[in-house]
Amino acid sequence: MTPESSWDADEALTAVYTAHYTSLVRLGALLLRDVGAAEEIVQDAFVAMHGRWHRLRDPHKALAYLRTAVVNRCRSRQRHLVVVDKHLPRTLPDEPSAEHAALRTAETDRVIDAMRTLPEKQRTVMVLRYYGDLSEAEIADTMGISKGSVKSHAARATKSLRQLLERNA
Amino acid sequence: MNDNPNDAFDELMRRSLAEEADRVEPTDALPEIRARAHAQRRPAARRPWVLTAGVAALGTAAAIGAFTVFTGQQDSANDGDTVAGAGTTTSATGVPSSKLPRTPVVTPGPTLATPTTQVATKAPTDAGVPEQSVKSAVVPIYWLGDRAGGTSGIGPKPSAQARSTTRLYRTWSKVSGRPAVQALRIMTTKSPSDPDYYTVWRGAEVGSVLQSKDMVTVDFKQLPSTRLDADLADVAAQQLVYTVQGALGSGSMPILITQQGRIGAKLFGQIDTSAPLGRAQAADVQALVSIDSPENGQVLGDGPVTVQGSANAFEATVNYQATNLKTRAVVKGFTNTKQGQKFAPYLFELKLDPGSWQIEAYLISDADGTISDADSKIIEVK
Repeated sequence: MTPESSWDADEALTAVYTAHYTSLVRLGALLLRDVGAAEEIVQDAFVAMHGRWHRLRDPHKALAYLRTAVVNRCRSRQRHLVVVDKHLPRTLPDEPSAEHAALRTAETDRVIDAMRTLPEKQRTVMVLRYYGDLSEAEIADTMGISKGSVKSHAARATKSLRQLLERNA
Repeated sequence: MNDNPNDAFDELMRRSLAEEADRVEPTDALPEIRARAHAQRRPAARRPWVLTAGVAALGTAAAIGAFTVFTGQQDSANDGDTVAGAGTTTSATGVPSSKLPRTPVVTPGPTLATPTTQVATKAPTDAGVPEQSVKSAVVPIYWLGDRAGGTSGIGPKPSAQARSTTRLYRTWSKVSGRPAVQALRIMTTKSPSDPDYYTVWRGAEVGSVLQSKDMVTVDFKQLPSTRLDADLADVAAQQLVYTVQGALGSGSMPILITQQGRIGAKLFGQIDTSAPLGRAQAADVQALVSIDSPENGQVLGDGPVTVQGSANAFEATVNYQATNLKTRAVVKGFTNTKQGQKFAPYLFELKLDPGSWQIEAYLISDADGTISDADSKIIEVK
């Protein structure tokens, strides 16, 4: 028995929060381009994790659970937003939270802009791969799709991004 | 394709995403998460949902709590939200003590045959059904704001009277799930996008919103503990009424407020909630001038900026001024609403150079020429 498995839910929450809260919010922000929404989603996921700690009992499982919860919630939110955007009666602001942060380099600008053109699944795969540093198997688990799909989404995304970035270079 | 360009591509992707991610510095949320986690661990919320569904069928007061567990599944993490702490005190102290005895804004629907007379403290058992969950909706959220708040000192100072009066201002949010529950959740836990607005509902925890034939029951797991003076409490209660009715798209349904299925709590230490609250007249509680678009913090491309809003203006006149926050350049003018002396839309266009601008729309009191009401937004023109 590892010492971690004897943690109670509060101890686990504090430990996992300290280690992973920031990176999970950043992951959510990359997926959603909305820091406020990302924070909200990650907080919800932590509350849920606390509630099921007695079943997880392992910080690694807890992290995997959190990652899956955050990715799923971001994805479903994004899908809703796409639908809403089409039916919006009038313009809503770009998320201001993305704007007041430090300016990014032109290179990052181009990559982030290019990422926006990708379909949701391809973008999620790319974020998990390059920011989350996850293996194909881990991405497949997190997104609930097959490894083959991860491969093909990644290949298609890479192709489109390379084309876009070369054109705009 | 050889490996080299791919390595360069991988490297570029890693670097860019890391750089983008590093711009995000979340604020500490551990206390909030912990509070919410513990708020959730109430016996009703811990039961497996199959069991709670059974309890719900009995239609007892517990059913209201049980529905929350139920909706939580669909509304994606919508249950058990508490945001307590810092926000509560800030909002409470930011509250001006209004001395203006206005006409009472809360009309506890006296014509309604409320079932509350038969059941002493329990909410009516036929509280109704939850609203339909939707994939997406845009809902209005109402906030409190001072009538002439947020002006940058244009024109004569507002009179003390105008300064001390609180009104409802509106922002729009995209939600998915149950619109009224989501709208209330934003109203009770979020900060409005416009810093001139505030809420006194921080610390409240929304449970469920149930609709019956003739009223809406909003159940709170926890009502706000803030105590307010009578005038402000009235407007704050209307903040809830307007937000719920706005999300449900029904302007006439009175709202019964319950706490854990029980009626009669004194809201903000002032308001009797044993009967449903009706909607107050817009002219009594709504901001007399407000800017709906653009929103605060919005970044706009070049081309004229179209400002839209609504106003209830004497002789239909809405004045406006845009101030460049850096150069202090000023663009002024006025426009008319479609109709004076009642709420009507207005619209004007501004040609603004790139930079940060504060846009103000304001009304001038016909009595003494001071600014009686105003709304302002800061935008960025690129």
